[in-house]
Amino acid sequence: MPKYQIPIVDTDIHERVQYKDILEYLDEPYKHYITNCHWIQEKHMPYTQPSVAGVDRADAKIPDGRPAGSDLKFMQKQLLDDIGHEVGILTSALDPSPSSMHGWHEMAVALASAYNDWQIENWLEKDERLYGSVHIAAQDRDAAIKEIDRIGPHPKMVQVLLPIDDIMWGDPFYHPIFEAAEKHNLMIGMHHNEPPVYYGKWPRYFIEWHTLIPTAHMKQITSMMFNGVFDKFPNLGLMMIEGGFTFIPHLMWKMDQQYRDLRHEVPWLKRKPSQIMKEQVRFTTQPAEELTKKEFMSLLEQMGTDEMLCFSTDYPHWDYDSPYRALPNLDTELKQKIFAENARAFYPKLPNKKEG
Amino acid sequence: MKEQVVCKTSDIQPGEMKETSFGRQEVLVCRTPDGNFYAFMNQCIHQGAPLDKGMICGATTDKSKPGSYDYCHEGEVIRCPWHGREFSIKNEGRMLANPSKKIPSFKVRVENENVIVYK
Ligand code: FES
Repeated sequence: MPKYQIPIVDTDIHERVQYKDILEYLDEPYKHYITNCHWIQEKHMPYTQPSVAGVDRADAKIPDGRPAGSDLKFMQKQLLDDIGHEVGILTSALDPSPSSMHGWHEMAVALASAYNDWQIENWLEKDERLYGSVHIAAQDRDAAIKEIDRIGPHPKMVQVLLPIDDIMWGDPFYHPIFEAAEKHNLMIGMHHNEPPVYYGKWPRYFIEWHTLIPTAHMKQITSMMFNGVFDKFPNLGLMMIEGGFTFIPHLMWKMDQQYRDLRHEVPWLKRKPSQIMKEQVRFTTQPAEELTKKEFMSLLEQMGTDEMLCFSTDYPHWDYDSPYRALPNLDTELKQKIFAENARAFYPKLPNKKEG
Repeated sequence: MKEQVVCKTSDIQPGEMKETSFGRQEVLVCRTPDGNFYAFMNQCIHQGAPLDKGMICGATTDKSKPGSYDYCHEGEVIRCPWHGREFSIKNEGRMLANPSKKIPSFKVRVENENVIVYK
């Protein structure tokens, strides 16, 4: 019997692949590079200590020793069945993944396709509640578009997770990717992996990096906004995953004020930036700052809408948000919006609310 | 229920902790390196994580200076399995970062190798 009484659409769940599981989805010679040449993706994060089990919830490790997030049955038991999720959107553990991989684009492209196929076969087609994200190696743009065309039509793929690189997302380089996503009714998702929040380097402490992740999100929204992406692709939506939400009023006010002064530079903007954000940008809630109900309601009032926030747990990561405890106790109608309906209204490919 | 034997002293080595039950409540019994026993509610006061899935460890202290760490209290700190908040076993289960908050605790005594939790 699920514990949670209102529907939950969880907008950030991390499934995780291990190299040995992805091999069968890779063609040669990529398989050879991994099996015989022991290739693994280079990672850079200098801090592996944040919590009791690195960046995972210590109780989410699979009992047989496999890492958290790598087993559907365990995830069903600990998360989906226990809480009673109606929908969960997978965002991967990004490793191995094309994100932040420089050089050797061929490998990045091959990995993205293999990952997508693995995700579909082992998760999306095994649990009707789970929906997925298309992974692409955006550094090879043409290959990325091909992959969106190949995988995008899958009925359970709801967004493209765009890797973060040193080209800002408003840059025309990405526009053909946005066009492909829009064509397939896919939204664009941003989830940090190894983002350049600190002028391309890592700060000395994890706590600095983790505190500043919202700045990386603010930069991409601002870039897409003033480069006219939202006007050029009116059916495109942007889901900002795990980057915070308390900065939203600040960014809206700041962009509106700048727009009033400097509109002449970006005449292609046909709506106020805050209006564009309300219509095309959404934010997942985790990791939620600890706000009182009064503070939370005042924040919504400052945003001028209660339709931008979408609940997420970030399971199985260390900073998981519990649906019972992470947000203040809200009135039922608002709860329904934040916990399910806002996300459902945002992703065109999510099914309608279950009756009954 | 006023008191209950929750385990034997030999069930928990110094520097370890264990989940037990006291009536219908899940209780975390901790044994510090000096051999003493302490009992807390086995649920984190932040978002409710099961504390027994975390770790018992030491902690960097407020004697640390920028860039130089002071670490002690080995075996006297519970660290939550989710967000990693630290609680001092010997200081009434108070949170290191915010000592005004504490994990509810139970009284404990040892009699004939039995660990007894009571209110
Ligand atoms: S639930 Fe324990 S630190 Fe958050």
